[in-house]
Amino acid sequence: MNLFTRLLNLLIALGCFAIAGIALAYFFINEKFEWIPEPILELAREKDLLEKPEAKRCADCHKDIYDAWKKSRHSISWTSKTYIEASENRTKEKCLACHIPESVKGEKPSPRLDRRDEGIYCVSCHFVDGKMNGPYDLVAPPHPTYRNPEYVRSGFCGSCHQKTFKEWKATKEEDTCQDCHMPRTQARLTQKFGLNLLHKKKGVGNHRFLHGEISEKDILMEASFQDNYFNISLLNKTVPHGVPTADNGDPRLYLYFTFYNSEGEEVDRAKEILAPQQDTALPFNKKVNFRYRLFDPINRVSVVLKYQPAWSKEKELVWEKTVQP
Amino acid sequence: MSFARTFLIYFTIAFMIVLPVHAKDVVLKEPPKSLDQFYPPHSKQPKWTQQMHKLSNHFGGVFINLKEKDFENVDKHADKLVEEYKKTSEMVPEWEEYFDLKAAEAFAAAAKTHDMKKAGKASGDLGKTCGKCHAEHQISVWTKYHWPSFHKIKVTDPSSEKEVEFDKFMKQISGSFKSMRVNFGEGQYDRAAKALKAFKSEYMELKSTCSKCHTNDDVKRFYVGGDAETAFQGLAKELNAEKPDPGNFWKNVGLVGKTGCKNCHLTHRTYSKIKEIWEEK
Ligand code: HEC
Ligand code: HEC
Ligand code: HEC
Ligand code: HEC
Ligand code: HEC
Ligand code: HEC
Ligand code: HEC
Ligand code: HEC
Repeated sequence: MNLFTRLLNLLIALGCFAIAGIALAYFFINEKFEWIPEPILELAREKDLLEKPEAKRCADCHKDIYDAWKKSRHSISWTSKTYIEASENRTKEKCLACHIPESVKGEKPSPRLDRRDEGIYCVSCHFVDGKMNGPYDLVAPPHPTYRNPEYVRSGFCGSCHQKTFKEWKATKEEDTCQDCHMPRTQARLTQKFGLNLLHKKKGVGNHRFLHGEISEKDILMEASFQDNYFNISLLNKTVPHGVPTADNGDPRLYLYFTFYNSEGEEVDRAKEILAPQQDTALPFNKKVNFRYRLFDPINRVSVVLKYQPAWSKEKELVWEKTVQP
Repeated sequence: MSFARTFLIYFTIAFMIVLPVHAKDVVLKEPPKSLDQFYPPHSKQPKWTQQMHKLSNHFGGVFINLKEKDFENVDKHADKLVEEYKKTSEMVPEWEEYFDLKAAEAFAAAAKTHDMKKAGKASGDLGKTCGKCHAEHQISVWTKYHWPSFHKIKVTDPSSEKEVEFDKFMKQISGSFKSMRVNFGEGQYDRAAKALKAFKSEYMELKSTCSKCHTNDDVKRFYVGGDAETAFQGLAKELNAEKPDPGNFWKNVGLVGKTGCKNCHLTHRTYSKIKEIWEEK
């Protein structure tokens, strides 16, 4: 055998070993991680991860989750302009608990003292008792993890979304908050090269915490004319909590009516404010009725529904309809 | 914490706060500017309040440990009390003369004899320094630093959908309320009905302000809750009737005025008034 073939064989052998090694590692990490001895894991641990680092540090590995979270309202719960206004320049102590929580554990959290600009960040939601709590039983060499079934249950969100959670619970619907606001896709939990190959894909919840859209499929309308009255009802058909819903924010639906006569002239107007703070939000699957006295003969009513989120002063159109007798 | 300990601490606190004040005039002095730095937004924590907790813990700690005959800790608390007392006396220059360092040292010395009687006796002079300052300043401090300000709250006017200042909104609501009453008195029921609509939507808009200060929805049972709702329904019923009954109408007006406006003013306006005076430049 010449030198060249020898070298080639050696390389092939090394390659086989490497592949076998990676396969073995893949097997252990994904299937039999409880067999990995603790001292070996200790070697891979990155200690600073347990010292409540900022979210950016988690992004070293969980980049996609970080990018989604960064776009969420949770990442700006402390820096939001409307929050600063409502909390009197952030001096109201009562407000801190949910806007800069130390650690979420199924009840109203206590406020934290450091890294306030991070709002509700990775550590608030995941770091409990020295481990990263999450929905999976898995092994993460850089940090200890702990499977906690609460992460896929509504009660977790209910730690802070207390009123919404109560509304949801009363509907007895099965879909959890996460089902609608953190829908899962099959993907890698980490993007760091190496780690992403060694860990297989799992369901990853969308950390953008989707702000649900609503349309005429969600909010149904019925209307009728009767004697001197115009009757209308709205029905929240799909959303298993009030629409809108809030804890301390003040999101609203505005319902506008314009009444026209047969000449097409405007003869009257009316308006309703549907807001959780005023106990007028649309409950799940229950009709809400409104009734207006007509002083003049009416040929047409225009009905417009607009939505204003808690964190905005702008309204978005939900739908617009015309009703005729 | 054991029950006895908790009890003792509360007892000492209560004792100090309830020290008799003889004058019957109540004077609320605006707290000195230099106190600002120890309260939000100037500091993250209410540092002055925390300093008070330290004083009270060490003060109480001396007695608790005397009772438990844990003399090592008696000495520790006595030393810490003097240290923190001295530190506190340097925090707000305008308040320096409220402190009596000699009394604090005398108390510490008495405590270190480990004789309960002597310590009790020496605590009187020190306790008086706490009580005097509390009598003169505690309420002003609550008002200035713990009461949120209505003057910074905006309310959305339901008709224009623009945000207005709280006191302007109050004037507006007061106007709509009056307009309804006056029109009713004149027998102009259609106009009164229109004014009621505006008045009611403005009144209900107040419900959106509670959560700017309160984190518990239960408070909404008051002023803007069931009583107000019933009164508004009563008003609407009369104004839509063929022949309105003045007795019922005025009864419901009274209900809104009393359980709504008046009671809310009684809980919130006193502080708001004082703050307003201090905030005027
Ligand atoms: C029990 C937890 C909790 C407490 C305490 C709390 N909030 Fe919130 N806050 C929430 C939740 C959950 C939301 C998101 C849902 C909503 O819009 O209400 C929110 C949203 C908001 C919003 C709308 C979003 C934005 O950024 O503009 C504002 C404003 C707000 N809160 C102000 C306050 C103020 C002021 C206080 C103190 C008086 C306070 N919150 C206390 C849980 C809380
Ligand atoms: C050096 C890389 C790295 C860093 C940095 C890192 N992680 Fe991880 N993390 C992992 C790996 C690897 C997994 C397991 C992935 C898998 O099995 O698919 C994991 C899994 C998790 C899980 C899932 C736990 C479960 O049981 O469901 C959570 C939650 C988590 N990490 C949170 C965090 C947080 C919060 C931070 C920042 C403080 C962080 N991680 C920083 C590598 C990292
Ligand atoms: C630590 C308290 C806390 C926890 C736990 C929490 N949230 Fe939130 N959430 C908030 C706060 C505060 C806001 C408002 C942030 C802002 O806009 O300033 C918010 C905002 C939101 C929004 C955006 C609302 C809007 O008006 O656009 C959604 C959606 C949401 N949360 C869903 C969830 C879900 C789903 C969970 C559970 C997986 C959850 N939250 C857990 C406190 C929390
Ligand atoms: C408001 C609370 C909240 C915040 C903030 C949050 N998470 Fe999560 N996280 C959850 C919940 C709830 C789940 C479970 C979602 C599911 O799988 O249905 C989860 C799941 C995970 C998982 C496991 C994969 C998955 O989606 O199930 C990882 C990894 C993770 N989070 C990392 C992070 C990182 C990194 C950050 C910061 C950039 C972060 N999380 C911020 C609540 C939060
Ligand atoms: C069936 C899907 C579904 C479920 C389950 C669900 N939501 Fe929603 N959520 C929506 C939709 C759609 C919207 C948008 C409509 C609206 O504004 O209310 C929404 C809006 C929100 C908002 C924004 C506030 C607002 O109304 O403007 C918050 C906060 C929220 N949900 C929290 C939760 C929490 C917390 C849970 C669990 C207790 C939950 N949601 C369960 C679909 C869902
Ligand atoms: C120079 C003035 C001054 C002196 C001297 C003083 N205090 Fe205070 N103390 C205050 C003020 C002002 C408050 C109200 C603080 C607040 O509510 O933020 C207060 C409040 C307290 C409270 C109640 C704290 C709470 O959480 O409401 C305690 C307990 C207390 N003081 C203990 C003491 C003790 C013990 C001493 C003497 C050893 C003392 N104080 C001396 C000014 C003083
Ligand atoms: C500017 C801030 C502010 C606003 C706005 C406000 N309150 Fe209060 N209110 C307070 C403070 C401060 C107290 C004293 C005790 C406390 O903090 O609860 C108080 C006390 C009360 C109390 C008696 C004590 C208690 O907590 O039960 C009731 C009832 C109450 N408020 C109801 C309301 C209602 C109803 C609204 C809305 C219509 C409202 N408040 C709006 C600041 C406010
Ligand atoms: C949230 C509780 C609350 C309710 C309910 C309430 N008020 Fe007020 N009102 C206040 C407060 C607080 C102030 C002081 C505002 C300030 O200092 O800027 C005030 C001030 C006023 C003022 C003086 C405004 C000025 O600056 O000249 C009038 C007039 C008034 N209210 C009328 C009413 C009437 C009429 C009603 C009932 C129809 C009513 N209020 C209901 C809390 C309330």
